[in-house]
Amino acid sequence: MAADDDVDCRKASRLLSLACERPLGSPELRALRRHLDACLMCRNFEKQLDFMRKAARAYGRGK
Amino acid sequence: MGEPGGSPLFLPPPSAGRNAIFPAMSAPTADSRFAEIESHRTYLVRYALAQLRDAQLAEEAVQEALLAALESIGSFDGRSSLRTWLTSILRFKVIDLQRRAARERTHTSIDEDTAAAEDDSWVDDFFDETGHWRSPPQSWNDPESALEQRRFWEAFEKCLAGLPAAAGRVFFRREVMGDDTSTICAAEKITDSNCWVILHRARVALRTCLDQTWFGRAASDGR
Repeated sequence: MAADDDVDCRKASRLLSLACERPLGSPELRALRRHLDACLMCRNFEKQLDFMRKAARAYGRGK
Repeated sequence: MGEPGGSPLFLPPPSAGRNAIFPAMSAPTADSRFAEIESHRTYLVRYALAQLRDAQLAEEAVQEALLAALESIGSFDGRSSLRTWLTSILRFKVIDLQRRAARERTHTSIDEDTAAAEDDSWVDDFFDETGHWRSPPQSWNDPESALEQRRFWEAFEKCLAGLPAAAGRVFFRREVMGDDTSTICAAEKITDSNCWVILHRARVALRTCLDQTWFGRAASDGR
């Protein structure tokens, strides 16, 4: 039953990190969205990625 | 760090040749410049250390950068902050030293570095065999307010320093300095996909560390 594009948390975290580097393809994006819709933990990780980027930039500005 | 002459810095004490270094400045201005430059030293060492991962090399880079800064202080026009200006000088010194270190590095350690970068087994530390988080990300309570707390930055810095060497270097350049991935890959002599693996690792590891040392604790003691 597991389709090729089934995404687990490990893969979702990889795609979320990848999305910080390059635009995701639409199959990747669709699979990721489907996972995120169902997974609060990975949605938390997504927010944490944003925050860590913000924090790192602030750190670089000499916080 | 108030008294420049009493600091561990290599800079000459104000009495020794200050006027030679700042010929155009009155003595009090030169003194305050010394103190001001010195006040950025901790930041500069951090920066160099994150890049070079070697305390001795970092020290060397900072010393060279500060010497260069003193020599060209006249060209500092105040349009950027002093820290930005010092960092841009240091950045060149760091790149110099990185090049030198890369040339001197033995083949063994390059191979080890690459192997570590390509090795995917680290994910097992963070995900179980079914692909689930071992330590599921909980919501961070009001992370923005952490940015205003000095102790958060200490925790952040410790977590950065705890990353594996390649992950720490690449993350710092990508997220702290804001370089793009292709520039970093070229400098590290690795492929884009390798860079992405390293960044993924760095982000997951950093998240886990911040959770353990800051946000998890903050939740439990109601801070």
